[in-house]
Amino acid sequence: MISVPWSIPALINGFWVSVIAEILIWSLFAASVNLLFGYVGLLSFGQALYFGFGMYGVAIGISDFGLSFWPAFGLGVAAAMAMALITGIFAVRLTWHYFAIITLVFSLIFYFLALTNKWLTGGDDGINFTLPPTFSLGGITGSLADHTFQYFFILATVSMCFWLMHRLICSPLGKALLAIRDNDVRASLIGLNVYLLRLVAFVMAGFLAGVAGALFALFGRYASATYMFYHVSGEAVVWAIVGGAGTLFGPIVGTTIFIVVREIVSSHWEHHSLIVGVVAILVVIFAPKGVVGLWNEWLTRLAERIDRASIKSELRTNP
Amino acid sequence: MSEPVLRTEQLTKRFGGLTAVDNLSFRLAGGRLHAIIGPNGAGKTTFFNLISGLLTSDGGRVFFHGREITGLKPHEISRLGIKRTLQIKSVFPRLSVVDNLWITSQAGRRFPHPFRDASRDRASREKVERTLEQIGMSSLAQRQAGTLSYGDVALLEIGMALISEPRLLLLDEPTCGMSPAETERAVEKICELARAIDIVIIEHDMEVVFAIADDITVMTQGAILASGNPEEIAADERVREAYLGGEEEEDYVEEAAHA
Repeated sequence: MISVPWSIPALINGFWVSVIAEILIWSLFAASVNLLFGYVGLLSFGQALYFGFGMYGVAIGISDFGLSFWPAFGLGVAAAMAMALITGIFAVRLTWHYFAIITLVFSLIFYFLALTNKWLTGGDDGINFTLPPTFSLGGITGSLADHTFQYFFILATVSMCFWLMHRLICSPLGKALLAIRDNDVRASLIGLNVYLLRLVAFVMAGFLAGVAGALFALFGRYASATYMFYHVSGEAVVWAIVGGAGTLFGPIVGTTIFIVVREIVSSHWEHHSLIVGVVAILVVIFAPKGVVGLWNEWLTRLAERIDRASIKSELRTNP
Repeated sequence: MSEPVLRTEQLTKRFGGLTAVDNLSFRLAGGRLHAIIGPNGAGKTTFFNLISGLLTSDGGRVFFHGREITGLKPHEISRLGIKRTLQIKSVFPRLSVVDNLWITSQAGRRFPHPFRDASRDRASREKVERTLEQIGMSSLAQRQAGTLSYGDVALLEIGMALISEPRLLLLDEPTCGMSPAETERAVEKICELARAIDIVIIEHDMEVVFAIADDITVMTQGAILASGNPEEIAADERVREAYLGGEEEEDYVEEAAHA
């Protein structure tokens, strides 16, 4: 299973390699929604803001400041995290729909700012930039201009972020976040600083969205205010929930389903988003824990059935 | 007289026109199990909410072992060693019983580690196992807390109070909604706890109150009506009139006082 994505470029054509690269990036973005909604209980409708800051950090870093690869990448991620910290200070005071609304409002404010300040952001047209020629990491040099190398770079970065998230979920901090998701009053009474922990989670989600944005900018050699619109945030929410909020791989599954459907159907039928809507509604009604949640339930039920069968056969042999 | 464990000075809380807690001055001496009784709406739970920081007071001050804690946040008060249970049973429903206890034992520490594997911490794991044995829930360790029976949730809450190593424990109707057998088990646990920890308990079950309390405070309309040992309270005319009024209740009190 794990070796499959690594052997993909050798097996299929360039078009699908870049579709998979895109799926990886958007999965990471959906994971940032999942971290907040699935593990802290905060539904953000404004993650596109941090995605956008990741994109612009890279684009402005390269085109305006002439930064090389890693500094530009770092600038994008740092900008996203700083923005998450600043907005988070206000946003995580609220929960539920108030939190959803304030995150949405923040992202709209900065969307319109990005749209109108063309001198900096290029507005709707965005910023096109040429990649810094090469980057090297410990003796290995590569160029994102090489599509296979670009794919591996995206795969490695996204895998590392998911690994970090896995570590987080199993850590004391992860359990503290789950406790806050379940019952924030109780969490404060046992001594957890609910506000601070939510803020930390919010900045971590900003990190994931920022890395996704930075990767996407490098992938497309392009940054645009369009990607800061709330439509983009909303898509990530749908991907995360359909895939399974509160599961590590849910966002990957959700994102894959929707992007593959889009790529296959959109060339034949322009209303492909109808399918997205129908699938989202069906999943929310029939599998509220998402596709991965449903799959896990099947596995548990199967295991129970096997258990019961083995007990029965034991009874039969030893009456 | 030495500094009391808990002291409030003219504590006041208003909700709009209603004064839920009215100029309440309360002293809790160390080493005694103190019960607060009173009719519904007397302000008992509001009083607990003011002490534990869930509500901010409109006036007055709260001291814990001589240190002022007025206006501190709930987690800050909790870290000083004041732990409480809630009237409506309150655990982490989607976490397992083990994780409920585990996170409670960790919560008072400095910032939780973001990337270390939580299950590797052997000392905390053993502590959780000991607590599970103490409350008799070892067989339910891996169950999701949300799927437990009501009595088991209440026991888990007591376990969570235990593992957090409190200096002062505020119990809000711990036996509410329990079966007689469960009540007996919980009361036994509370008495055992009271030997080591200072406890204030809000309780409606008079049988329980008169059986376990060293001191009783009676509240009505946000103020203290009477305070004393169970015999004094049972004999107090004002208490009978204001709160215990009914014939049946009176028998109860006399019976309990003579028991």
